[in-house]
Amino acid sequence: MKILAHSYVCPKGTFLNGKLVYNTAGEENPLKSAYQQLGAEYPKFYKMDVLSKMAFIGTELLLPFFPKDADLENDLQLIFANSSASQNTDNLFVESYEQLKNPSPSLFVYTLPNIVTGELCIRHKWYGENCFFIEETFNPAHFSEWAQMALNKGNNCCLCAWIEAKTNGEQECFLFLLTDSEKEAYSMELELSTLIKQYRNE
Amino acid sequence: MSDLKENLKAQIIEQLNLEDLTPADIQDDAPLFGDQGLGLDSIDALEFIVLLDSNYGIKISDPNEGKEIFQSVNTLADYISKHQ
Amino acid sequence: MDKPIYISALSLVTPLGNTIEQHFDAFENGISGIKIHEKAGFQQTAIPLAKREEITGNRYDTLLREALEKAKNAYPEISGKTAVIVSSTKGNIDLLPGDTFAETASIVHEFFPATDVLIISNACISGVIAINTAADYLFAGKYDQVLVIGIDAVSEFVSYGFQSLFALSNETCKPFDKSRNGTVLGEGCGIVLVSTQKPADFAVLYKGGSSSNDANHISGPSRTGEGLVRSIKKTFRRSGKKASDIDFISAHGTATVFNDEMESIAFGRMNLDQVPLNSMKGYFGHTLGAAGVLEIIMSIVSMEKNTLFPNLGFKETGTSVPLNIIQHIEQKALNTVLKTASGFGGGNASLILQKQS
Repeated sequence: MKILAHSYVCPKGTFLNGKLVYNTAGEENPLKSAYQQLGAEYPKFYKMDVLSKMAFIGTELLLPFFPKDADLENDLQLIFANSSASQNTDNLFVESYEQLKNPSPSLFVYTLPNIVTGELCIRHKWYGENCFFIEETFNPAHFSEWAQMALNKGNNCCLCAWIEAKTNGEQECFLFLLTDSEKEAYSMELELSTLIKQYRNE
Repeated sequence: MSDLKENLKAQIIEQLNLEDLTPADIQDDAPLFGDQGLGLDSIDALEFIVLLDSNYGIKISDPNEGKEIFQSVNTLADYISKHQ
Repeated sequence: MDKPIYISALSLVTPLGNTIEQHFDAFENGISGIKIHEKAGFQQTAIPLAKREEITGNRYDTLLREALEKAKNAYPEISGKTAVIVSSTKGNIDLLPGDTFAETASIVHEFFPATDVLIISNACISGVIAINTAADYLFAGKYDQVLVIGIDAVSEFVSYGFQSLFALSNETCKPFDKSRNGTVLGEGCGIVLVSTQKPADFAVLYKGGSSSNDANHISGPSRTGEGLVRSIKKTFRRSGKKASDIDFISAHGTATVFNDEMESIAFGRMNLDQVPLNSMKGYFGHTLGAAGVLEIIMSIVSMEKNTLFPNLGFKETGTSVPLNIIQHIEQKALNTVLKTASGFGGGNASLILQKQS
């Protein structure tokens, strides 16, 4: 298995294949700024929760690296994971009924972690398989297992993400595109753990 | 009435997270839903119900009633001025 | 998909009881777990719920421990490499503002120590996806057996949310019926054993499964049933089955106007509209992340007893494509069963169960 491309979105900036593409450090609204720098015309972006916004930006940047001959509409599997599910939006929704006395329907629909994969499928017309796992920490070996199982079933490639938006402000989205190759899974897993460390320390 | 409409436009932008718009972008008689207008959807319609309740104290118990009321800023303002 | 994979029911805890026999009795006698609960809704409104009233403490932890205890009794000897996959939409909501799944693995370990615990949270299709994932692990040879736990508890959080979407019924849950007016939330925990070894108890074969996204809307079902059609097609391909092989469909059927309509269109498109079908939401309510597992357990019971259970709450066709909704309890040889689920985020999932020959 090998990594075709990777991106990383967090408040300080957006990175593609290890390079900073949008510097948003110190911005009042970093994700809005990254979206505007990206220049995509997708007004729905503003309505999304933090998870979906980060994944939207990170995925747009990965588009040129998807395998050209793949049937992405059917054979792309999305494998996402985090530790906090939809915590950030969950707490905003609780606030809407406890403090504002009106449960907000537009917040409620984002109180599930897998809405982010739904948003990406809508944006890119992907009808393939999706799965959202909850894990304590980023575990490259698990992503490698899940991706291998997806490829075994006939999927062509996997868009994977470790994506977190916590109420304490911790936000990151590490996206990576995996496909089959001769390369040993172990070295790919090692590469993933090195990459996320580098991105976090940038 | 025109104050009400201006307030409404600002509230719509805030409540529905239409950060790319300013009140001047919303015409009084432009359709709010569907591809012709602002392109709002079914969740936005439910969010309008919250907006009417929290800002104007007007309760709508059947979302189907909303179809007539939420056609445009004009129809919304009309409904609010009659029911407040 | 060459090696046989078996699924058997280990435990089931819902408002209808805490043994599989109690559930069989309830289904046989058309008993629903749904009741009106005064002041349970937003601003003290009365709403119907399928709530396990025996629970006084934390609902999620209590359900999980009770079902695990029963599963441990039903299956005391675990040998070989074992994983546990928990399927849930919200986990323990009382842990907010923190991580709602923080304590799940340690509760599982109280009963099944030294197992790898994985959690899947993929809205209402979580249960079906969890079983598909368990089978993938067995096919890959990573584990010898996987316990799949489907669980969600009733909460103010989810009730208020569904109320804000105007998606709740004010009386009861009537899937596919003409007068259906929304779903009813329920709670429960069900555990199945997915294994490469043939269990001693009644077990059925897992023949294949898949999921597909509607790529249409994050909360509204597709008008054309596209994702569900694609998932069923993929599942047929993977399991080597076709529409005419299916003896019974355990559908999703939430009893919202749009969901049930979407399912009818999808089943029509797949030539499955004549196959006997039920939604079990009239008994359980909608148990979200638990639903797939609970409904698969009762589908296994159906197959064991060769019994079609009625779609509780259904009286009159209420979808544009008429379906063969089961109205009376009926004996029928059930060899091949299709389970489907659809949910928020545009997700659809399906799988096929087959009786051992």
